[in-house]
Amino acid sequence: MSDDDDVILVKKPKQVYYGSLEEQEKARLAALAAAAKEGVEDSGGKELGDIQVSGEYMELEEEMSRDKKALLEEFERRRKARQLNVSTDDDEVRRSLRQLGEPVCLFGEGPAERRVRLRDLLSYLGEDAIHKKLEEEEARIERDRGREGTWYHEGPPQLKDARLFIARYSLPRAKRRLTKARDELQLAGSIRAAAKQESQRKATAMAIYCSQIGDTRPISFCRFSSDSQMLITSSWSGLVKVWSVPDCIPLQTLKGHTCNVSAATFHPRAVLPSHWRQKIEQEKEKKEDDSIEVMDTSDEISESCQMASCAYDGSVHLWNFKSDAPLASLSGHSPRRVSRVEFHPSGRFLATTVFDNSWRLWDLHTRTEVLHQEGHAKPVYSIAFQCDGSLAVTGGMDAFGRVWDLRTGRCVMFLEGHLGPVLGADWSPAGHQLATAAADHQAKVWDIRRRAPIYTIPSHTHLLSDVRYQKSNGHFLLTSSYDKTARLWSNPAWHPLRTLSGHDNKVMSADISFDNKYIATCSYDRTFKLWAPDLA
Amino acid sequence: MALQLSRREVEDLRSSLDRAIYRTIGKSDSSLLSTVSSCLTSGYERRKIIDKISSHIESKKASKLADKVLALAQELVSSAKPPKRKHDENKERDKEVKRSRHEDKHESRDEKRDRDKEELKEKKPENLIEIPPANAEGETIGSKMAGLSADKIKLMMANAQKEIEERKRTLMALKGERNVSAAAATAQQIKGQMPQSSSIPPPSVIKPVLYSKPAAVPISAEELEKQRKIAELQARIQRKLAGGALVPTGNVGPAPLILDREGRTVDTSGKRVQLTHVAPTLKANIRAKRREEFRAQLSGQVTEPVGEAAWVDERVASKPPVRVKRALRFHEPGKFTQMAERLRMKAQLEKLQNEISQIARKTGISSATKLALLSADVPDSDRVPDIEWWDSVILMTPDEREVKRKRSRLANPTDQRTETQRVEACNIGDDDIIENVNEDAITNLVEHPQQLRPPTEPLKPTYMPVFLTKKERKKLRRQSRREAWKEEQEKVRLGLEAPPEPKLRISNLMRALGTEAVQDPTAIEAKVREQIAKRQKTHQDANQARALTKEQKRDKIDRKIREDTSLGVHVAVYRVKDLFECASAKFKVEVNAKQLHMTGFVLLHRGCCVVVTEGGPKQHAKYKRLMLNRIKWEEEMVKDADGGEIPNACHLVWEGVTARRSFGDIKFKVMPTEKQARELFHKHGVEHYWDLAYSGAVLDAGSEEP
Repeated sequence: MSDDDDVILVKKPKQVYYGSLEEQEKARLAALAAAAKEGVEDSGGKELGDIQVSGEYMELEEEMSRDKKALLEEFERRRKARQLNVSTDDDEVRRSLRQLGEPVCLFGEGPAERRVRLRDLLSYLGEDAIHKKLEEEEARIERDRGREGTWYHEGPPQLKDARLFIARYSLPRAKRRLTKARDELQLAGSIRAAAKQESQRKATAMAIYCSQIGDTRPISFCRFSSDSQMLITSSWSGLVKVWSVPDCIPLQTLKGHTCNVSAATFHPRAVLPSHWRQKIEQEKEKKEDDSIEVMDTSDEISESCQMASCAYDGSVHLWNFKSDAPLASLSGHSPRRVSRVEFHPSGRFLATTVFDNSWRLWDLHTRTEVLHQEGHAKPVYSIAFQCDGSLAVTGGMDAFGRVWDLRTGRCVMFLEGHLGPVLGADWSPAGHQLATAAADHQAKVWDIRRRAPIYTIPSHTHLLSDVRYQKSNGHFLLTSSYDKTARLWSNPAWHPLRTLSGHDNKVMSADISFDNKYIATCSYDRTFKLWAPDLA
Repeated sequence: MALQLSRREVEDLRSSLDRAIYRTIGKSDSSLLSTVSSCLTSGYERRKIIDKISSHIESKKASKLADKVLALAQELVSSAKPPKRKHDENKERDKEVKRSRHEDKHESRDEKRDRDKEELKEKKPENLIEIPPANAEGETIGSKMAGLSADKIKLMMANAQKEIEERKRTLMALKGERNVSAAAATAQQIKGQMPQSSSIPPPSVIKPVLYSKPAAVPISAEELEKQRKIAELQARIQRKLAGGALVPTGNVGPAPLILDREGRTVDTSGKRVQLTHVAPTLKANIRAKRREEFRAQLSGQVTEPVGEAAWVDERVASKPPVRVKRALRFHEPGKFTQMAERLRMKAQLEKLQNEISQIARKTGISSATKLALLSADVPDSDRVPDIEWWDSVILMTPDEREVKRKRSRLANPTDQRTETQRVEACNIGDDDIIENVNEDAITNLVEHPQQLRPPTEPLKPTYMPVFLTKKERKKLRRQSRREAWKEEQEKVRLGLEAPPEPKLRISNLMRALGTEAVQDPTAIEAKVREQIAKRQKTHQDANQARALTKEQKRDKIDRKIREDTSLGVHVAVYRVKDLFECASAKFKVEVNAKQLHMTGFVLLHRGCCVVVTEGGPKQHAKYKRLMLNRIKWEEEMVKDADGGEIPNACHLVWEGVTARRSFGDIKFKVMPTEKQARELFHKHGVEHYWDLAYSGAVLDAGSEEP
């Protein structure tokens, strides 16, 4: 190794000798001479006239300015690229690249490089390239949808049976209703007017009858039973309670839901069972003398379904008066909210409105879903059956209502006119009119026979949560609203009869009892109130 | 010559005298004016006038002024009463033709100069108007008229010409019978003038012969014709005077005056008669009338000599340009009495209406009855169909039923009814309707109707803007500025841009320029200061350019107030007890709505005034505050139904959302009856607003009664 070192370490000479310049100088001079000679020859040639003088010049200026321009353009592009907003989400970057028809990923390319590539691309194509593509796509979809129109699919075979049942159930009822209406029309006008005036007078005299704290959370819904002896309330605490009317004694607490209960109703044929009647009597006696004695005579309690309730988590439970636990549950809605449940007048079917833009019809005998009906563009909120059981009206968050024929499955009327979610709907007992309540602070009355809106009631200063017709004759209408009041309206003229104010907070629901004696309202302030005509 | 004018004439002349004084001495002088007018009234001669005036001004100007004054006086006198002087016709003609432009104003001087000039001008051609003679001009200059302006001269000339013409006519009229050839001569003269008439004053200024004495014995047919025409004209003038605003002169005897018991004028049948009252009128009016009379005569006379001349082409309308003076216009008699009558009627009607409504209130229709009455006017649905249309879809028609029966062959031999009767029986009769159900119509198909876009959903999705924290904003700015700076540097390096000149400040001046600054500090400092000023200016200019213009600012404010109501208009309905008398509240209601760009309507009805406003939610929030908080309604006392004083009140009847606006810009309307009010709202398709507001008012009144 030491030898090698020696070899390498050669002493550097102090001067570098390049050799003599003489030769080079000579060559240079010779070249000069030759050039001079050629020049002479050239000049000679000029004299001969065969020289070609070109007037063309290379336009340096132009060339330079072009270069300059290109450079400036590049700068401009880079500036634009800098200002572009490109997503930092790699997935979105990939999607955008795919939309632009570019390779999604190049070999060895990471997310950052991909993003830079997209940015560069966009700076060439313009920022709105992606948007344009998207818009085109959307327009195409829109066109397709427009062309699509109405279409049908085959439902389950049970559906036809159900429809036949409904047809056989509803037609005689319709016939009876019409006959009755015809008979009534035979009566003198003054008698009818007197009846109407009497019931409207009662409505005008409506006053608070009692108030009861229903739960620890807002009461979302209340309904009377068909014998007007019971009231069911549902609460956001997940409890459903049954109360006696008019004493407001708690009869039953139904525990089964785990989240906000949105609605609960009685079966159309649910009546106060005898053991509760005794319980009420005992309660009354207890007030007089404190004898504590509970008699249990649960011998002849019906096992059948008497109540139904639905909740925000999509659970629908069926209950009876025997136990506090649900009799059965209908599954298939979760995780979507079920906003309303409603029994068909025949009691065989149960309708639920679901937030997946559909409403369902369940056969309670077989406990199966016979109909899954779509049609609304947004969640379906409210539903009501016509008294015959032949038609149903649904109100959606898309501000439209639809009237369905349950026998044919057709949408027979489209209710267009509201400007907010339709949160309540009810049929008049006459069977050919219906009222809808919406979040645009209006209620509308529609005529099915004429298929047209009759009147618009500008009813409240906040959204309307519920609307109910008087059950027997439809002489007046009840609307409840988030402006803390409920109001009564006379039927053909739609004048305000009475404002029921007393709640401290939004009125979430209201109902009129079948015997027309009471009106119940339930509110966000955790109470429900009964109102009765004060004819003192 | 001496001219004596009356005081009144001098008064008339006063303004022109003043003007003359102003022209001569360059200012108006009241003492001089009074002197001159006194001179005129006392009728001094020129010499004397000059003497008088020269006590005020220098003699040269004095003489000039005196000339003018005399000329004016002469003018006045001549226009009022033409002096009847005998003039040689030939001379007159000469004068008129030759010297129409340079006319002097003194009559005496005229004549004298005429005589002087005659020798000179006789050889000159007839139409001297186009080429005014040089010597004439010289002569004018030689006389004391140099101070007069050209149009003044022209005016004077026209006056003089008029004078001459009119004198001529008078003469002619007088001499008509003696000298027929004179008329021909006149005609000849006019003929000579005709070609010039386009440039000289038209013959409209000719004085009429109306006041001259008509000839005693007409000689020729021509004269006869003339006489006849004159008479005709006079008659026409008389008629005009009688028909116009002048006092009618009935040529029949006075009608008997009949008065009734109350002293009113009646005619023989006992009907009331409106007499024309002749009231004394103003001097000015009389003068105006006289002027009109004069003009009427003028216009009547003008056509005469021209019309009969054979050389006039009648097809050519040669209307003399008569300048029509605006006449006084008087009110038709009885106009004001009529107006008063109408006002009185209106007041009475109003009073009557008030009384009726008062009585209605007193009788006390209770609110409940009122409501019942309101609801009674809507009839019940009166027709019940045999079968609802939605049910009929699943029921068989007679044909279908027959087909079905044939297919099933299950006909009941005892049933002899037709299919139609059977269907009837099923649908409304005693048979079971279920027999008639068309089971083929019921399928298990599930419909998927076409979904429609909700009306409240925007056509295009709206994206939330990205909000950054202050830190993020700062960072972004820093980065972008650095990028921009780097780019600039790059450009300079590549030679695309010239490097910016070094930024000089007073503080870095010595460091940046070193020796230069030492050599000439003053110049360098000036340079630096200039650079600083330039920098500041560019900065300010940039700011200026970025600032919004006045219109843009206004637009911005407008844009901020305006809201998008394409997806639903917010509507609010307010009910005010009485908005009739509260002027300030009315003003606020209107102006605030306008300023907030809201549309709406205000209906004023006794006991229930309704205010409807439409706009966006923010506008409504402001307007609601105005209506319910800012206006202190309860401070105003209004009359209630019984006439008692109660505090005013305003209620929010309804607020909500509708699809579209129903009203235009806010308007007020008074509706006396409830029905009209409802109709008005019905016209806009929102009668329910009125229903609700009115029934609310009725209920309110009802609750206040006990």
